[in-house]
Amino acid sequence: MQVRRLAAWTAIPLSAALALSACGGGGDSGSSSSGTVRIGIAEPQYLTPADTNETSGSQVLAALYAPLVNYDADNKPVEVQAESITSSDNKVWTIKIKSGWTFHNGEAVTSDSYIDAWNAAAYKGASQNAYFFSQIAGYNEVAPAATDATPSPSPTAQKLSGLKKVDDTTFTVTLSAPFSDFKTMLGYTAFYPLPKAAFESDGTVKSTFKDAPIGDGPFKMDGTWQHDQKISVTKYDDYKGTQPKVTAVQFTIYQQPSAEYADLLAGNNDVMLTIPTENLSTAEGDLGDRYLHSPASSFQFLAFPTYDKNFSNVNVRKAISMAIDRQAIVDQVFKGSQKAAYSFVSPVVGGYRDNTCGANCEFNATQAKQLYTENNGPSKIEISYNADGGHKDWVDATCNQLKNNLGVECVGIPTAKFADLLNKVEKKQEVGMFRMGWIMDYPSMENYLGPLYSTNGSSNYYGYSNAEFDKLVQEGREASTSDAAIQKWQQAEDLLAKDMPVLPLRFGQNNYGISTKVKNVDIDLFNRVDLLKIEYTG
Amino acid sequence: MSDFETETGSELSTATPGAFFANGTPPSQEVTKVRSATADAWHELRRNGVFWVGLVIALVALVMAVWPSLFTPADPNFCLGSRQMQGPSGAAIFGYDFQGCDVWAHAVYGTRNSLLIGTGAALLSGVLAMLVGMVAGFFGGWVDAIISRIIEVALAVPLILAAIVLMKNLPNNDQNLRLFALIGILGVFGWTTAARVVRSSVISAKQQDYVSAARMLGAGNGRIMWRHIMPNVLAPFLVIITIALGSFIAAEATLSFLGVGLQSPSISWGLDISSARVHMREDATPLIVPSVFLALTVLAFIMLGDAIREAFDPKMR
Repeated sequence: MQVRRLAAWTAIPLSAALALSACGGGGDSGSSSSGTVRIGIAEPQYLTPADTNETSGSQVLAALYAPLVNYDADNKPVEVQAESITSSDNKVWTIKIKSGWTFHNGEAVTSDSYIDAWNAAAYKGASQNAYFFSQIAGYNEVAPAATDATPSPSPTAQKLSGLKKVDDTTFTVTLSAPFSDFKTMLGYTAFYPLPKAAFESDGTVKSTFKDAPIGDGPFKMDGTWQHDQKISVTKYDDYKGTQPKVTAVQFTIYQQPSAEYADLLAGNNDVMLTIPTENLSTAEGDLGDRYLHSPASSFQFLAFPTYDKNFSNVNVRKAISMAIDRQAIVDQVFKGSQKAAYSFVSPVVGGYRDNTCGANCEFNATQAKQLYTENNGPSKIEISYNADGGHKDWVDATCNQLKNNLGVECVGIPTAKFADLLNKVEKKQEVGMFRMGWIMDYPSMENYLGPLYSTNGSSNYYGYSNAEFDKLVQEGREASTSDAAIQKWQQAEDLLAKDMPVLPLRFGQNNYGISTKVKNVDIDLFNRVDLLKIEYTG
Repeated sequence: MSDFETETGSELSTATPGAFFANGTPPSQEVTKVRSATADAWHELRRNGVFWVGLVIALVALVMAVWPSLFTPADPNFCLGSRQMQGPSGAAIFGYDFQGCDVWAHAVYGTRNSLLIGTGAALLSGVLAMLVGMVAGFFGGWVDAIISRIIEVALAVPLILAAIVLMKNLPNNDQNLRLFALIGILGVFGWTTAARVVRSSVISAKQQDYVSAARMLGAGNGRIMWRHIMPNVLAPFLVIITIALGSFIAAEATLSFLGVGLQSPSISWGLDISSARVHMREDATPLIVPSVFLALTVLAFIMLGDAIREAFDPKMR
């Protein structure tokens, strides 16, 4: 009797869930007016430029806002809303914007729209993207760094002293140190302008703004953000830039990639930005020529805790690197959907050279074993990875290769909280090797070097420190031309190939699928659909 | 099984009068052919097909756990990416999984951990259940009241949930620790049902005349519990522990599947099922083989337990 009652209790929520999912799954495929494309995204975290740093939010904001610069086929910045961005010393930059552009509420886009938005984003360093403003002079006064003595210091200034308005369409940005790729950085989501209507009287952004952001881009909001369901946008007719070819876009929000994939196959969704790894082997058969690839900026690598005596010998690190057949893992686990990496810098940025790692990344089992035994490499290797990211298959495959080629014991260790692992690394405890991934913030070679390997780089978790490397990266930042900068950075990359603090493994690729109703679907390096190019064929 | 027979068979024969009354047969009518309850049960068991099937599977699993190399020449830890998802061949009868490991060898070598954890947890929970149930049933009164409340509280904690919560906090890279922790947690949280069965059997045995007789002859508590009550409790106890063994094996596989039980490089059916699940659409063999191993082993112990219960229960004949 008890069992039967229990069964009834569980049956009620289950049937309720079924009914609910039936509502959600049905969609409104019938009402899609001509020219509306449906793009699947995940629920965005925020819809304000200062806080958006994940792909779903950036995808929606890319529809609503026009950036100062965008990137051409070679990932060089090209002006969109900016008329010109110039500097003579890489320290003081003059930004001229095009006149006559308006926000969706009719307000003109002026220098103030940028200055106010950037000041709000930098204030107290509280926004997700505040880091991008830290190079602007006056940041330390607006967002003083927290110390143990003063965990939440109060700012001594409201506004960045480095931002100065010249006239309605011109303003200057003074950096605290010269940075040759500042113009490239301006294409990032954080640098969009905001209308006056977005601000409270004290200069902060209204909390209601994120539900219906007002932008200056090719599309405007149609209604508000319907959380966990959809965000609809329609063409903004007064947009002064290139007009899009579709009249409206509906961003459908999915909780489960598997549900989104099923919708794509059923024709209820037009673009799926990332095909789940477990569907990669069947996607070719499911979608045929509607299964597409484009380069992405992600870079996967294995990191050594170089302070650990097991891995402090550079020859041990080289031997491990040579024992990994990168191409085999790409073929077997990723079905060719990623690219084997033999360099430290992604092919999507200027300054990339193929095979900078040289013999150290070339698969050579016999030489690897010899080098490993000569240098008394550890008899047991552990590779930690975050359990939620779908890394098990390739970490296990890598471990099997190390087992077979070096004759060591190798275990992949899933970690529920990757942050715990990184904390251990910061305290220099023994952790074994661990996986890391890097997605660039803006297309600059420096973004793959400075934060990852500088002695005080924000993501240098391996204890790598090389004064020569630090110097070269800094010289590149201060170089007068971007070619000169790239030269310095390439020298810095060569140092990495000698020291091998990490092993490059793979460069990412966008693996996306489209329905039969759309064409000209391009996905950029940031995993966003190019909304100006996409066409609806019905 | 043979252990059980020689040890308890003789004990039970001292208790035959009681057993006869339980059967409702007057002692006077059948004097020549007296069979003990155990011998009776064995007589029944021998004719039960279910018993033999369960026994054979369990024995095969046992041999597999002790000498896995008898069943496969392959090394389960030797995985070659180039053999990924290859179908059955002479070298590997069920082919290779996503990582290029031999599916059959993996399943065979997984038997050891499953049986080790299953029997370990069953033994531990059995000892606990026997001690606690015996004390509660024999002494009764406030001792029973307290112990029964403790059992009820422990029953309210779901076994799997308790195991998930506790196992999550263990280090991922110490496999021996995880193995013993699994035995300990499953044993400590899985003893309650068996303890209740022991307690109620003890209560009914305690009221038999021969127990009173033994007491009047001056036997102490310990002797009465050990010589006179224990033999009557053993049958239902064995039944419940055999069935529990099967469910502990299933619990281990569940926990390993969820990622909180054993972890690679340990070999476990739950782990194999979990990694094969993702690639089910390409080839289901790596998923089916460990699943069948798991299902058969659990089934074998449940069948054994059921057969023993039928043999000892006169109403089922």
